[in-house]
Amino acid sequence: MTTLRQIELESIFLISIVAAASLFFVIQRNNQGQFNAPSMRIASLSLPLATPAPEQNVFSQISPDGTKKVVMKVMQGSDNTKTYDFSTVDGNDANEQRVFTKTFDSSSSMVIPFNTWSPDNKYFFIHKNTGDNKSVFAFKASGVAFSQAEEYFDVTDLFRKKETGYNFSEATGWASESLIIVNTTKDDSSKGPSYWFEIPSKAVIQLSTEF
Amino acid sequence: MSHRRIKRNKKTIGHYLKIYFLLFFVSLAIFAVGSFFKPQFNCANSLTCKSDLSVSVDNDAIGIFQGRKVLPPKVDLAQALTQSSILGVRVSNEEKHIYIDLSTQTIYAYEGKTQIMKTLISSGKWSRTPVGNFNIWQKLPVTRMAGGQGADAYNLPNVQWVMYFYRDFGTHAAYWHNNFGHEMSHGCVNMRLIDAKELYAWADGPTGKNLGTAVSTCDQFKEPGTCIQKNPIN
Repeated sequence: MTTLRQIELESIFLISIVAAASLFFVIQRNNQGQFNAPSMRIASLSLPLATPAPEQNVFSQISPDGTKKVVMKVMQGSDNTKTYDFSTVDGNDANEQRVFTKTFDSSSSMVIPFNTWSPDNKYFFIHKNTGDNKSVFAFKASGVAFSQAEEYFDVTDLFRKKETGYNFSEATGWASESLIIVNTTKDDSSKGPSYWFEIPSKAVIQLSTEF
Repeated sequence: MSHRRIKRNKKTIGHYLKIYFLLFFVSLAIFAVGSFFKPQFNCANSLTCKSDLSVSVDNDAIGIFQGRKVLPPKVDLAQALTQSSILGVRVSNEEKHIYIDLSTQTIYAYEGKTQIMKTLISSGKWSRTPVGNFNIWQKLPVTRMAGGQGADAYNLPNVQWVMYFYRDFGTHAAYWHNNFGHEMSHGCVNMRLIDAKELYAWADGPTGKNLGTAVSTCDQFKEPGTCIQKNPIN
């Protein structure tokens, strides 16, 4: 082995070590916090949904600007039924407007979701749960029916009738003043595309973005 | 054998200096390239972050979000300025800290270990919300936010209760959607108007040598001191 070759190998060896060390430090710096963070499990959060509790019978959800509320009164019937009565009021509880009343047997329940109000406070939607089946009903906040034949929109049923090829999964909230965001699943239960459901036109618009 | 030893002894200081310089530049180059590939956060609102970050009211304008017109709320500037103060209200003498849990889309406000507030937010969908530890550097009662391109372009006047914590990334009220608990922003932290107003009234902006209220954005958060940040920017 010649001296020149020895020196070259020595240099390459040193450069390799320094390069490896530099790489290590730069990766560690870019991922700072990852190695120091204690592992933990996130506790389940109790989201502020207006879910009925046995000892209570009045629930409400305020609009994002604080000027309106949806109020749900749940009355227990003697025949194992529950009557759900919905109304809207101003933020200070004035100007009550009756919207909807329905009685179900104990297998069904209704809840007011956190994102119930449309951003302009003209519409709101509620959830009906029957076992694993979820339905979403949309209303005019004024209490006026959409038409003579439709007191409210059954968003789930209307979406199903559009035959998109996907199954209604959930309505998360409002993308704008008249657009409910609908998530779907495929037949194999994997996640499908998201849609806008437009009120009052009932149009269904597929999105390129999943919500 | 003796011939080789003689040759080795001929290595000079210059030879080692050359190697050290070479090593120095190699490591410098690796750091530079490594930093280049680290996620960069420039602006949340690509237009207004360059033009101005100041109080702005436009009660006659129509907003645009996701290609649709949005009617902004009317804002009384005089009233908004009256309700705006750099220092927020204080429940105790303990340190204020805002935590944003990106995994659950929830914001928490603490004084020491006392929880002052907890509610749902919408963080970055079209651009990521930066993960890291910051301080509120500016509070604005109302401003305009604009950015995006093409179908994603938005222009939103009268955005209320804004608190910037990193460049123009901040918490603020969002009147154009109600999908909190789900990602829905261009990097900022969207809140309901009632929540943003309450948080604004509580949090502190910078005064003199004092920094504003601390803000930590976390990949996961459980309680003060356990904010998991997988790839923080600072």
